[in-house]
Amino acid sequence: MLTKLLFKNQDRKQLIIAMIGSFLGITFLITSIHYLIKVNEFGEGTEILGPNTIIVQKKVTTSTTFGMSKSDFSQKEIDNLLAMTFITDIKPILTNNFNLWFETSDKRIPEFKTNLFIQTIDESFLKIDSKKWQWEKGDKSVPIILPRDFIVMLNTFAASSGFAQVSDELAMKAGFKFMISDEDNNKEWFDVHIVGFTSEVSAVLVPASFMEYGNMNFRLEDEKKITQIMISGKESEFGLVEQMLTENGLETRESQMIVGRLKSMVGTLFFVVLCISIIAVFLSGLVLIQYMQLLMSKNAYEVRTLLRIGYHPDNVIRRFFIYFVKVFGIVMGMGMVTFLIFKHFLDKMFKEGGLHIDTGITYWSMGALLLALALFTLSSFLTAKKGIYKEY
Amino acid sequence: MNITLDHIMPSPLASIKHGPDSIWGNKVELIAGRRILLNASSGKGKSTFATTIFGLRQDYQGELFYDSINIKDFGPNEWTQVRQSKISVIFQDLQLFPKLTVQENLILKNSITDTFTEVEMLQMMERLEIEDKWQQECGLLSMGQKQRVAIIRSLAQPYEWLIMDEPFSHLDIDNTDRCLKMIHERTTEQKSGFVLTSLGSSHGYEFDQELKL
Repeated sequence: MLTKLLFKNQDRKQLIIAMIGSFLGITFLITSIHYLIKVNEFGEGTEILGPNTIIVQKKVTTSTTFGMSKSDFSQKEIDNLLAMTFITDIKPILTNNFNLWFETSDKRIPEFKTNLFIQTIDESFLKIDSKKWQWEKGDKSVPIILPRDFIVMLNTFAASSGFAQVSDELAMKAGFKFMISDEDNNKEWFDVHIVGFTSEVSAVLVPASFMEYGNMNFRLEDEKKITQIMISGKESEFGLVEQMLTENGLETRESQMIVGRLKSMVGTLFFVVLCISIIAVFLSGLVLIQYMQLLMSKNAYEVRTLLRIGYHPDNVIRRFFIYFVKVFGIVMGMGMVTFLIFKHFLDKMFKEGGLHIDTGITYWSMGALLLALALFTLSSFLTAKKGIYKEY
Repeated sequence: MNITLDHIMPSPLASIKHGPDSIWGNKVELIAGRRILLNASSGKGKSTFATTIFGLRQDYQGELFYDSINIKDFGPNEWTQVRQSKISVIFQDLQLFPKLTVQENLILKNSITDTFTEVEMLQMMERLEIEDKWQQECGLLSMGQKQRVAIIRSLAQPYEWLIMDEPFSHLDIDNTDRCLKMIHERTTEQKSGFVLTSLGSSHGYEFDQELKL
């Protein structure tokens, strides 16, 4: 009865316009937040290195070859790079300063022995379970991360030699050995177990503690120069990182930059859509609130009379408040359903385009939806309270 | 509940000269359970009296008490309590909802306290000879019919005082008698009092007290 009295005789045109505006805003808001997060998450977990991380070295030129320019990084150069706002972290890549032989010790895989070059990347850049990435002096087995190219090379060799090829799973279970030595032919043997593979680094990766142990006890030269560094750039600012590399005569793997560029571009696009969506949701929410004020103003006589015949102001406030929260709830529901339909088609399009984005729903997009509802609920309550008490 | 008007002087009436027995500017007590007639000509403040006593206007000097409580101390909770169970009013402009039917107008009020059943309200309509208007929009009724609906609505709650601001102005003698009889019964049943403002007529009813403006 009360609902009929207060809401039956209203001109719904403005309400419908505001609802359409809110619906579009909400739909694009959830969609843009969802895909902004998905784009930023893209690539995470599939590689050993964290997102937005690249390995950088100085470009090798003719003058470098003739020793006229340096190919290593000084501490000052590293500090200068770190001072740049779009760079979040830099760490040097350590290399072995001792002889190292890598060989197979498992009958299931072809016999293979080679002199090897190993590197250590700061653990903060690695996306690997830290429990698996431990080595202490006295440990017999060293965890390593193997370049995927190494397995490809091993399998090519196996195929041409008539041996069975090695899968990733078999390689991780198979036995390998390291033999490290110095100039005086002091030697030490270690078992090796593979904990992961990488397409981003060309060398075998070992824990820093193992590298330090080898460099300290089997040292060949006095000092090993830093020729490669790891750089982590900010999300959506990979263009600046790329520009910095060009300006400083640095280079990285092109494949590492392509992902960064793509993520920056798509991320920026979704960010723009997100900004427009926020404005749309804000404006349509404002129109809804204005409509509520108009409705209360049109019903001033009814509201006043209800209060005079014994209705509590809070009861009348609740009617307006619940009515508009329901309206916004319906809009949100419609926006959510439309988003899920959009998502179904967009995920399909991304998949067909070769971008395997995780299809789960992001908490942040749901959080944004709840935040929009909370803000609207609060403002509609305050507006209703102000409007009703004006007639009290 | 006694109502005390302690030297109340509404701002719009301050410039008018009031007699020594006027309720304006003097101390007047409305004793619980009394039937009071407030007789005055137009413009003397009958509606002002009704709305002031009901807490709808605060533009007055002096103080107004329900028992010993100054009504200026009341907040929304207290006023809602008063309007639901202490004082009922028949406004001069009736204040019905024109877009709602008679049935809806009465249920809207009655549902706050569940005082009557729908059948009882329909019986009251029959007594006032407007039962055929039950489903009609209030906006389409005549003034006399609206007044009878407003009277039934005012009775559809418990009250200690019924304030009536010229409630029979559009009713003939027979309808006025029927209405007064119904009001008398309901008021007696609740051991409550009422104040009836009138333009001079006592409508043949014996009042306990007569106030002047």
